[in-house]
Amino acid sequence: MKEKLIEFIRDEFLDEPDTEITENTKLISSGMIDSFSLVSLQAFIQQEFGKRIPAPRITAESFDTVKQMIEVIKQF
Amino acid sequence: MISFEFFGILILSVVLYWIIPRQSLRNLLLILASFAFIYLLDQWSIAVVAGLSLVSYFFGILIEKHPKRSLIHACGVVFVLGVLIAFKYLGFLSGIFNSLAGFINALPQFEIRKLLLPLGISYIVFKHISYLTDIKWGLIKPGRFIDFLLYSSLFTIFVAGPIERFENFKPQVEQSRLPFSWCNIDYGFMRIVFGMFKKLILADWIGYFISPIWENLHHYGQWIRLLALLGYSFQIYFDFAGYSDIAIGSSRLFGIKIMENFNNPYLAPNISQFWRRWHISLSNWIKDYLFFPLSKISNKRLWQIFFVPVIAMALCGLWHGASWHFMLWGLWHGLGLSALQIWNQYKRKHKQLGKATKSKWFNYAGIAMNFCFVTLGWWWFR
Repeated sequence: MKEKLIEFIRDEFLDEPDTEITENTKLISSGMIDSFSLVSLQAFIQQEFGKRIPAPRITAESFDTVKQMIEVIKQF
Repeated sequence: MISFEFFGILILSVVLYWIIPRQSLRNLLLILASFAFIYLLDQWSIAVVAGLSLVSYFFGILIEKHPKRSLIHACGVVFVLGVLIAFKYLGFLSGIFNSLAGFINALPQFEIRKLLLPLGISYIVFKHISYLTDIKWGLIKPGRFIDFLLYSSLFTIFVAGPIERFENFKPQVEQSRLPFSWCNIDYGFMRIVFGMFKKLILADWIGYFISPIWENLHHYGQWIRLLALLGYSFQIYFDFAGYSDIAIGSSRLFGIKIMENFNNPYLAPNISQFWRRWHISLSNWIKDYLFFPLSKISNKRLWQIFFVPVIAMALCGLWHGASWHFMLWGLWHGLGLSALQIWNQYKRKHKQLGKATKSKWFNYAGIAMNFCFVTLGWWWFR
């Protein structure tokens, strides 16, 4: 799950695909991904992992790093 | 909000609140205090708050228990939106209809008298939509009616927000007893003082200087007009941020933590970041209950990049008031968000550009450009 999320984020949202992303890289609060990207990320998670994450759970506080994303996905 | 009634009720209820030993009785006291505050400002609004809360709670229970939760949810949302439209937008909509009827002679003209706008109706309706939708999504349970009524009516956040979520509010008031803490009193008092300073000193003084210009714009040259616009940009920020500070601080006097509403919005390097820092409770609401659902209607790029932000922000503009100028302000921001999305996609295709935009100077230029964009937008808002 971690690798798939990192690969998707790197390919879809980053200006420089070589940028290193770890599971603790801050993505939303750092401005790396914006609100528009979150919609695609939500769709990707639903398509890839079969989990529909409600929008209020996709915030800079709860969905900022890949690690946090995995924790939220596991809750649903 | 900054009135004798507000602070009179606040001081009296804070003292009584901490004397009362049980949280359920404290919640009841806060409801009574809130209803007293609403009654003093507008008697009619009490019936709307109580009636709307009762019906929304009923829908919340139904959504939780009924197998067709999506249908019940849709009915609930249509009902609360219907209430908002009836009170706030009927006059505006009939005006549009009559303009159309003027073009097409076969259509009849309607004369709809504008209903009295209940206090805080825009805030309460958005709170109720988030309540119903969060139940549908399984994020919250309907809770006890008394807690929901307190959530709907709490006087500290009733008039000017923030648009708190029931999910954050409920765990705080359903405890057996919120512990008293001098830290909360100290923090709450300081936030109120900061809020009063922003509102009464900064916002009102700026207003004192720029209001005469706005009232006679045609008497002044373009530079003075620009100065008035710049002044208004700061006036509206200090005004609203001040109210939010007072709301957050007043709530904290009861031990209740309310979400932050502003975070240095004029230091945002782009319009998307601006909306993560300006009226945060509203922009989060727009993101969760408008932006995401709208995005799912179609996967087409034009829809995602252009129509979703423009529609969402136009509706956000209309939420501020039933008038074309608010909608134009929303459209301005929607177009800004759309342009940013196109720019981001362009950057992804041109990697060298992406690297160049990482410099701190580019960031400063972004802050300056974004401030100019937002400030120009206030022209329509005012």
